[in-house]
Amino acid sequence: MPAVVFDQVSIAVEREDSPQPKVLLEAVNLELREARIGVIGANGSGKSTLLRLVNGLVQPTSGTVRVDGDDTVRAVRKVRRNVGFVFTDPLSQLVMPTGREDVELSLRRSVGNGTERRNQAEAALGRFGLQDLADQSIYELSGGERQLMALAAVLAVDPRVLVLDEPSTLLDLRNRELLRRTLADLDQQIIMSTHDLDLALDMDRVLVIEGGRVAFDGSPAEAVAAYRSWCLGGLPSAERDVR
Amino acid sequence: MRGHGFLLANYVPGNSLLHRAPLAAKFLLVAACGLVSFIIVDWRISAAILAVLGALFLASGAGTKRLWRAVRPLAPVLLVIGLFQWWQLGGPTSARIVLNILVCVVAASLLTATTPVQRILDGVVQLVRPFKKFGADPERFALTVGIMLRSIPFIAGTFADVRDSAKARGLERNPRALVLPVFITSVAYARQTGEALAARGLGEPEDVEPAAKRS
Repeated sequence: MPAVVFDQVSIAVEREDSPQPKVLLEAVNLELREARIGVIGANGSGKSTLLRLVNGLVQPTSGTVRVDGDDTVRAVRKVRRNVGFVFTDPLSQLVMPTGREDVELSLRRSVGNGTERRNQAEAALGRFGLQDLADQSIYELSGGERQLMALAAVLAVDPRVLVLDEPSTLLDLRNRELLRRTLADLDQQIIMSTHDLDLALDMDRVLVIEGGRVAFDGSPAEAVAAYRSWCLGGLPSAERDVR
Repeated sequence: MRGHGFLLANYVPGNSLLHRAPLAAKFLLVAACGLVSFIIVDWRISAAILAVLGALFLASGAGTKRLWRAVRPLAPVLLVIGLFQWWQLGGPTSARIVLNILVCVVAASLLTATTPVQRILDGVVQLVRPFKKFGADPERFALTVGIMLRSIPFIAGTFADVRDSAKARGLERNPRALVLPVFITSVAYARQTGEALAARGLGEPEDVEPAAKRS
């Protein structure tokens, strides 16, 4: 598995109403090598910011993030070739009128020949059984179908790491299970934020983010139990249980 | 998001004459329709051109439903324009203006209904390639066209959603309650699209060693 390394990563943004910047992430040190990594935490805790760093969508104020040795600031294009990103809302992600066109768009950068591109797009769609939906408007697809289409478009270029930002939030139970099974079959390293604690339990390692810090880092069962107890019993202190 | 307000028809797979026609010919057809709408002064000729384009659309196998969906979102606007022009310039001129707008929309829909977007994008790339020596990036041009095609139904759908929510609050007559949310949603959509493209590494320059440090 590729290594995603956070070295003393902090992010702070200016505030209009205060001279003090708002700290989104503070001194995060991580080395992520497991195949399945879950990120859980309350809304606004910094989960999405942490994930966006991996793809270079957000740049650290200080510190570095490296994916397989490539700095996400200096080599952002290379990093994005290796790191696919799936957003919560697939409608934000699918930028073409139909799924097939969106998958082909992903391939434009790497496959110059139109016929070859169409064949590769067909294969990518076939992998998820989406051929019959490929020429429908993305607005005519259900939430689950859209999410799978977005996943197919990202995986068409065969990234080594797949980052998913709360991919099941907008899905019903059936589509959530479909997504869960689909993700389980992928070869890519997966880093995924979620509010679905059952999904988090499928991971190899789970990080709990709170107040811009990694409040817990360990096995899924322990992490979920810790998160549950904090949610029900009050917020953790920043120093608690960092392992 | 409703997103049903399509202004241009989506690609419909098929093997009709129009599907097989060269992209350049279809581009020229659209350009010619745009041009003649400035030249024609007789509403009967406009009606005849619209009838021919409508027949071509149906012959392509795209169907009446898609044709209707392509022109339906325009109906209220055309009604306002038509009535205003009737009052100002009389019936024949009003009819000519409305029919010419429909000619342009149906011609553009013919192109998008019979040509996959990727082929349109390839065509744009070829068209812009000579300008590469002046610094133009053909792929970016193509991407812009592709995103425009996707954004039109999004904004039309947003307007429908906003109109419904304004109605639910009894604000359907308040222009601010209609325009402002559409504007804000469109800006947010543009930002999200930019982020989605960036995440996929589309439309961005090659890696360079940054001269400036990160802040």
